[in-house]
Amino acid sequence: MNQLYLLNLLIYAAVDAMACLGLNQQFGVSGVTNFGFIIFQAAGGYAAAILALPRDTAYGGFQSYAGGWHLPFPVPWIGAAAAGALVALPFTFLFGRRLRGDFAAVGLLVTAVLLNLLVTNYRPFLNGDAGLSLIPQPLQGEYNPQLAGYQWALAAVAIVICLGVYLFVRRVTESPYGRSLRAMRENDVVADSLGKNLLSMRTAMLVTGGAIAGLSGGILVSYITTWSPAAWGYAETVVLFAAVIIGGAGNHLGAILGAILVPVGFEEVTRYIPTSNNLPPNLIPSLEWVAIGLLIVVFLWLRPQGILPERTRVIAAPGLASRARPGGDGAARAGGDGAARAGADGAEGPGGRAAMAGGPPPAAPAGATVLEVAHLVRDFGGVRAVSDVSFGVRSGTLTGLIGPNGAGKSTLLAVLAGTLPASSGRVIYLGQDITPLPAFRRARAGLVRTFQLASEFKRLTVLENLLSAVPGHRGDSLHGAMLGRRYWRADESAAAARAWALLQRFGLAEAANEHAGDLSGGQRRLVEIMRALMAEPRMLLLDEPMAGVHPRLARQIGRELVALCAEGMTILMVEHELAIMDEFCDPVLVMAEGALLAEGNMAELRARQEVVEAYLVG
Amino acid sequence: MAAGRRERRRGQPGRRGFSGVPAKTRSVFAGWDPSSPVAGRSDSGPGFAGDAGGAGTGWHPSGGGGLVSLFLASIGFGLVTSSVLAIAAVGFTLQFGVTDVLNLAFGAIMIFGAYVAYLVNQAGGSVWTGLVAAMAASSLVSVLLNAGVYTPFQRRGASPITMVIVSLGMTLIIEFGVQAVSGGTAVSYAMNSGSTFKAGGLILTWVQVVIMILSVLVMVGVHVLLRYTKLGKAMRATAANRTLARNCGIRTSRVITLTWALTGALCGLAGTVFAIDAGSFDATATDLFLVLILAAVFLGGPGQPYGAMLGALVIGLATEVSAVFIPADYKYVVGFVALLVMLGVRPTGLLGQRA
Amino acid sequence: MSAEALAGLPLRAEGVTAGYGGDPVIRGITMGADPGQVVSLVGPNGSGKSTLLKSLVGVLRISSGTVTVGGRRITNLAPEEIARASVGYVPQVDDVFAPLTVRENLEMGGYLLPRGQLAERIERVLAVFPRLSGLLGRSAGRLSGGERKMLAMGRVLMLDPGVFLLDEPTASLAPAVAGALLHDHVRGLAAGGASVVVVEQRAKAVLAISDLTYVLGGGEVRMVGTPAELSSSPAFVDSFLGGHARPAVPGDG
Repeated sequence: MNQLYLLNLLIYAAVDAMACLGLNQQFGVSGVTNFGFIIFQAAGGYAAAILALPRDTAYGGFQSYAGGWHLPFPVPWIGAAAAGALVALPFTFLFGRRLRGDFAAVGLLVTAVLLNLLVTNYRPFLNGDAGLSLIPQPLQGEYNPQLAGYQWALAAVAIVICLGVYLFVRRVTESPYGRSLRAMRENDVVADSLGKNLLSMRTAMLVTGGAIAGLSGGILVSYITTWSPAAWGYAETVVLFAAVIIGGAGNHLGAILGAILVPVGFEEVTRYIPTSNNLPPNLIPSLEWVAIGLLIVVFLWLRPQGILPERTRVIAAPGLASRARPGGDGAARAGGDGAARAGADGAEGPGGRAAMAGGPPPAAPAGATVLEVAHLVRDFGGVRAVSDVSFGVRSGTLTGLIGPNGAGKSTLLAVLAGTLPASSGRVIYLGQDITPLPAFRRARAGLVRTFQLASEFKRLTVLENLLSAVPGHRGDSLHGAMLGRRYWRADESAAAARAWALLQRFGLAEAANEHAGDLSGGQRRLVEIMRALMAEPRMLLLDEPMAGVHPRLARQIGRELVALCAEGMTILMVEHELAIMDEFCDPVLVMAEGALLAEGNMAELRARQEVVEAYLVG
Repeated sequence: MAAGRRERRRGQPGRRGFSGVPAKTRSVFAGWDPSSPVAGRSDSGPGFAGDAGGAGTGWHPSGGGGLVSLFLASIGFGLVTSSVLAIAAVGFTLQFGVTDVLNLAFGAIMIFGAYVAYLVNQAGGSVWTGLVAAMAASSLVSVLLNAGVYTPFQRRGASPITMVIVSLGMTLIIEFGVQAVSGGTAVSYAMNSGSTFKAGGLILTWVQVVIMILSVLVMVGVHVLLRYTKLGKAMRATAANRTLARNCGIRTSRVITLTWALTGALCGLAGTVFAIDAGSFDATATDLFLVLILAAVFLGGPGQPYGAMLGALVIGLATEVSAVFIPADYKYVVGFVALLVMLGVRPTGLLGQRA
Repeated sequence: MSAEALAGLPLRAEGVTAGYGGDPVIRGITMGADPGQVVSLVGPNGSGKSTLLKSLVGVLRISSGTVTVGGRRITNLAPEEIARASVGYVPQVDDVFAPLTVRENLEMGGYLLPRGQLAERIERVLAVFPRLSGLLGRSAGRLSGGERKMLAMGRVLMLDPGVFLLDEPTASLAPAVAGALLHDHVRGLAAGGASVVVVEQRAKAVLAISDLTYVLGGGEVRMVGTPAELSSSPAFVDSFLGGHARPAVPGDG
């Protein structure tokens, strides 16, 4: 009796832990808040069932369901994982839309309830409300499932698979790809502007999380031999979210802990509460739910990071690299996967890059036009924010963009970077018309922007912020992550070396392993600039990089930017501090009321009446 | 009867209200009689207009024009559903408009109110007295919920997702708190549903007519409040632009508290008439109904009270009328699909301006 | 709010330091306005003009310094209490209740008035902004830019405050309309006895109607003076355009 109880516990723990790991990967790590998560487990359970069951005419035909191919183990489990992954695909389109977070959550919850309702009522599909039963257990022809030995084996297999899932999600999360996922979670617009393909990442997370959840459903079904809509109401999703939040979102050990504490541990504790007939019926189960609700609210209030919070990833400085990162650096970089860059030249040596910590040698000769803007217009809400703007930016220049408030400077920058679409007109970069390209593709092509408001990835360290911007990193894809550290180690070392050099150059090496959100305003500005530099830009679009920065530091930044331009970088910079423009920028463009007013260096512009008027008159 | 997660997941059947599975339990291991009636209005989820027992009478198709009279009867039920839905949807949408929180615990507070009325009813009072008690109790709970939970989280800068999770947590606490006290069995009010009222093809009981009248009174009252009273205009101003309202000297925190008090009362009212109409109910009875409320709210536009009224009318009618054409078990599907379509296509709603 | 408070109230800000939570945006600002005066705040972007106004009306927290109106301290009071202290504020954006009608907007402006006075006060405001009379039933979100600004100002006028604070009232207006707004209406508020503080980007235009001007830069007060003093000062132009003193000055060929 005791043995069976323990077995039960172990199998449920393994299954719930798997589900929580899948959810944590989606929600805790990647910020994909999927309130329909339970559907994936349900799909897996049903798939395993109908693959394992014989035709529904068996046993006197008391059940009615699709499928029934009586396939042997391990096909049902494989099918379960596949079903979870397939069902996840339609969900991806729900996440693409720019819907308010809470509206989207409601939509997903409702979807889960709707599917439950449909399955419950459409009997021929999956036997409706009663669910499927007498589901064959793995290898039940060869072995007797009633024996203790069999059940122990099943439990052992479940635990091993759970361990495997843990190692898998851990590998993905601790890779550069995992870093990009976390960056997406922190600030998806910024991640997009740094070249991350959000849609692809979200799809990947939904599908892998779906597969994991599906597999967990398949395993559970093999143990309890039944599966009905009652097992996957939308409240199950709430319980899993509670487990992940309480255990620690973003921490995979936390997810396992949460699974043990909430779905499993919680239940078991209630066994030991004495019952009596004087109490209202269902008191204990009801109080269970009340307690789960209380735990959710209390944890979100007192300890939103959970019992095991997400770890701070500390990366050692290169001096200690021999211990932390065996393998050294300097290995020539391969092209990386998928990060196509317009006009990518093959001569990218590590030495030059590490020394300069800036962009690669320019493809265009100095003086050539890197960026050309033709009759660009941006309308929004009945207002013409950018009005027929045309200009060109030459390679190797530090071009300034100034103008009074509301002149449209930030909007123009956003349109150039692809964050906002143009209403009409063209943007031509290195000879290519990039007007239809989305922001992340422009970034991969070397056209990188910074933002006016704080946009560091708060819960990533400074070093991780910098590393997240590295393009063409071998480890920055699901495929690369799965291949493991050995595959991307070299790229990571090279990137880390570059990052440390930059940190030293800008004086932030001390803060390298602190969370970026904890820094002062000026420091965060610096992180943003360094991060943009890590993206190996050919052209930088800087939106008020000096805002809130100490004047001495601002001058230092200015000198660095000039040095970069001398090395071949092209920069277009919006700023208010006209003294900065004076000292560092030539030429300077003036915008007013959406249109380009004048171009020249500051001395010339000051002498021009219409410029002065624009500033003083508005 | 209602088994916990444990039983259900160990392969025992259990009533897990969230899934909408009705009160009948079927033991899989005891075998199952496939000839027992499954379909039919009595199984279409927690109590609703025309379901087993209750103030509704079920429909009696007259001999000749079967479909037409079915249709008319369903319109009658639809109007009753719309009436209940309207009271709830208007309350819900006003809470969202003024506080910017989707109070998913609304359904739980509804059923809490229904139970308060039940207690009064059991103690000898009439249902209508119970209704007043329900309104008062729900009003208090709603004010406490906003002041004690939602506002502190919002002041901390919680994201909308966090607020959803918090409101789900509160739903569990309130709904299963009620269940803990009341037990899992379904209860009914001791009341006289009154004689039947026939007009054209519509067949309704007097109680249902009273519900409809109450609903109309509430709509008119809300309209008068919002358009003609200082408080109502202050509510609309607070919902539109809280800072500006404060600049005008409006004590917005007081306005918000009053809003929750009023909408909380509407919540209790909605819960009681829901329970009256359903006939029998238990603590999980409003789970699916909440989705209809959301559908009505989003159809009209979140935060738009007139939109909520329109949405309630459309969803209520569509739900009941659809039961004429598709199996009754699926009639909620109409509401669900409507909600998903609105979220996907036009989240601001048909009448809304808020993004 | 008594009816004879047509007399304005003096506003004083001393050493005000405030920000958006992190580092302060404005530091140690001292300024003031007297009844019947139009005081303008000008300066380049990021100089803290809007931040100052928001901190005066309680929308932002003041970390140090004091603000008084008519001698009464209003530092860090809630916005609704500051309104009760007879301070009217017209923000730069979100300045009307878009879903409410014009009439209802005015009624909200007169929220603190005793019931009997409401109708009469509306009539008075409509006399100042006759354009609004024909628009009473229209929802505020559907007004043109100029009409909207008039409504925003009318809303504040309902309270007949002793102090008016206006944040870039001409921001989205065409120059001709802007000039009229400043000249007729903003100047008119001061003529009615109130103390008026106007933040503006259009330095030249607002100088024309000001009695006193503060030039802000980098979160601090850089210059103070009458329009005449400032216009003839080369430093004034430079504070907008940076760099060394230049002879080019508005008005020169």
